Amino acid sequence: MSDFLQYLISGLAVGCGFALLGSGLVTIHRVTRVVNFAQGMFAVVAGLTAGSLLSAGLPHGVAEVAAVLVAGATGLLVGIVAIGRRGTGPQSALIVTLGIGFLAYAGEILIWGEDPHSFAGLGGAVEIGGAHLQKQYFLVIGAAALGFTALGLFFTRSYLGKALGACASNPYAARAVGIDVTRMGLVAFTLGGMLGGVAGVLVTPLQSVSYHSDVLLITNGFAAAILGGLVRLGPALVGGLALGVAESMVAGYYEASYQSVVALALMLAVMVWRARRHTALYEEAT
Amino acid sequence: MNHPVREGEMKQVTLRPATATTPAPGPGLAARLRRPRVLAVLVVSVVALLLPQLLAGSDVAVYVTLLLSAIVVTGLSMLMGYAGQVSLGHAAFYLIGAYTAALSATHDIPTWLGLAAAPLTAAVIAALIGIPLLKLRGHQLAFATLAMQLILLNIVGQNEWAGGDIGLQGVPRLTVAGYEFASTSSYAYLALGALALVVLVARNVIASRPGRGLRALATSEVAAESAGVPVVAYKLAVFSLSAGFAGLAGGIYAFYTGYVAPGSFPVLLSFEFVVMAVIGGLGTIWGALVGAAAITLLLQQLNELGTAEGMPGYAPAVMSYAVYGVLLILVVLYLPRGLVPSAQGWWERRRAAKDGGGG
Repeated sequence: MSDFLQYLISGLAVGCGFALLGSGLVTIHRVTRVVNFAQGMFAVVAGLTAGSLLSAGLPHGVAEVAAVLVAGATGLLVGIVAIGRRGTGPQSALIVTLGIGFLAYAGEILIWGEDPHSFAGLGGAVEIGGAHLQKQYFLVIGAAALGFTALGLFFTRSYLGKALGACASNPYAARAVGIDVTRMGLVAFTLGGMLGGVAGVLVTPLQSVSYHSDVLLITNGFAAAILGGLVRLGPALVGGLALGVAESMVAGYYEASYQSVVALALMLAVMVWRARRHTALYEEAT
Repeated sequence: MNHPVREGEMKQVTLRPATATTPAPGPGLAARLRRPRVLAVLVVSVVALLLPQLLAGSDVAVYVTLLLSAIVVTGLSMLMGYAGQVSLGHAAFYLIGAYTAALSATHDIPTWLGLAAAPLTAAVIAALIGIPLLKLRGHQLAFATLAMQLILLNIVGQNEWAGGDIGLQGVPRLTVAGYEFASTSSYAYLALGALALVVLVARNVIASRPGRGLRALATSEVAAESAGVPVVAYKLAVFSLSAGFAGLAGGIYAFYTGYVAPGSFPVLLSFEFVVMAVIGGLGTIWGALVGAAAITLLLQQLNELGTAEGMPGYAPAVMSYAVYGVLLILVVLYLPRGLVPSAQGWWERRRAAKDGGGG
């Protein structure tokens, strides 16, 4: 029982990271129809930046916030390159973000080297029902819950959030009522960058990151987001948590090396299952 | 399904600027247009055949790498350009080919049989996983193929029969009818022969009725389906064919290097193939060849520059990633059709301007 609790909580914590990454993908895809392959890179950049700032002597909290802002700025830059030029279709933009990922590799190696980095998060642990649980797990879960609540309020309550929603549901009509769709796309990219950054800052103390961690991060984030068809935030949250718990259970009860296989197979199954309901006619019509 | 589709109707669907060949209005113009093309093929073939003799030791190895990449990219370019399907996991089929050849050779099966089995195994596996996977489109398929490669890498790295993370070592040299392929240049000729075969097959597929069907379904699956193109079967066939090409290259690779390991087939290799295909120009054979050659040579130059004295240890990696990124972004944004079709377009426009001025 204590084992189960341990796997559950650690799985939920890692799953929060996936959910945040997935929600970043959803935010960007909703508004711009671009699947941002560089989403995992935001988390890597934020995690590595936070580590450097902390070792430079900045206190906890300040360093993490600064790292998230850096990730947001990176998101804005990616957005400018990916959708700034008129007539870049979503498929081309996917390849462009792949290229940006390569470019980011170069920058990351130049600044941080090729070795994985980590930094100490919230120290200490608590005992619940015989399970030994790091405090960082609860910090991650709490922060992610806060982030998701803020995101939900932003989309439903604020003017900017509603404008983003308008672009998502009908770009033409949004333009007709005076919303700058391209600028909203850039806002979405910045927001997506910050969400990826939050994920990176929270997860890096749990598992170290290096420049090529982004491939696994993006596939897990995509797996979370695909549950909501890349347009809905709620299923992305659920998907991320389910994925994290599933991986943690496989690692705990079966074999750690198979955890990513299970997650990927789960993602494939969900995609194929969804595709059965969405025919070519449906996709080409929308 | 067997209703004959008239040519005129097909063309309505198949008109795509990137892949449409110039229709010749009369035989005179056709002959003139064809001549430089034939000439180009001849010159390239002769140079390609002479290169293993002319190049110095380590350059031949680069040449073999170039040829193997070109084989994979030709198939990938067909898949992406004609069938409109993105694969971010094509190195998986390269891996399957290499492991098929290595496993059969280390189990005392004749090496030529192993080489023949490599493309077949890759094609069959692609056909099997293609049945569920090809229901997906666009970015979903891209991620699905990527996931497939990650799963495969994990499986190969975990299992004893595949040698785990260390891989399979001591793969014997390829022997066909008593002739042992021992030297690097012999593998260059082998790869060249394989590339010629692959190009020939690709050319004939593109020019055939299924090729036109593929072009149609890349534009719109619904329109192609209603025009009588068996969409699912054709998509599966081209996926399987391009996987077979990759498997063939993988088989040669296994005999050439003598060992295979999961580390030789990273996800980045798949991305590299996509970069080559996109930069050269999707859906053209010349584009695949030019893309593979350009990127391989560029990487080689960068590697030499990066490992030169006084350069920090990370220099080669940084430079190659940066160049990949910049090239990919610039080509997709400013030359979306790729190098070869853009150059062709420029040449034809220039010709047209000249002809217009003269007559």
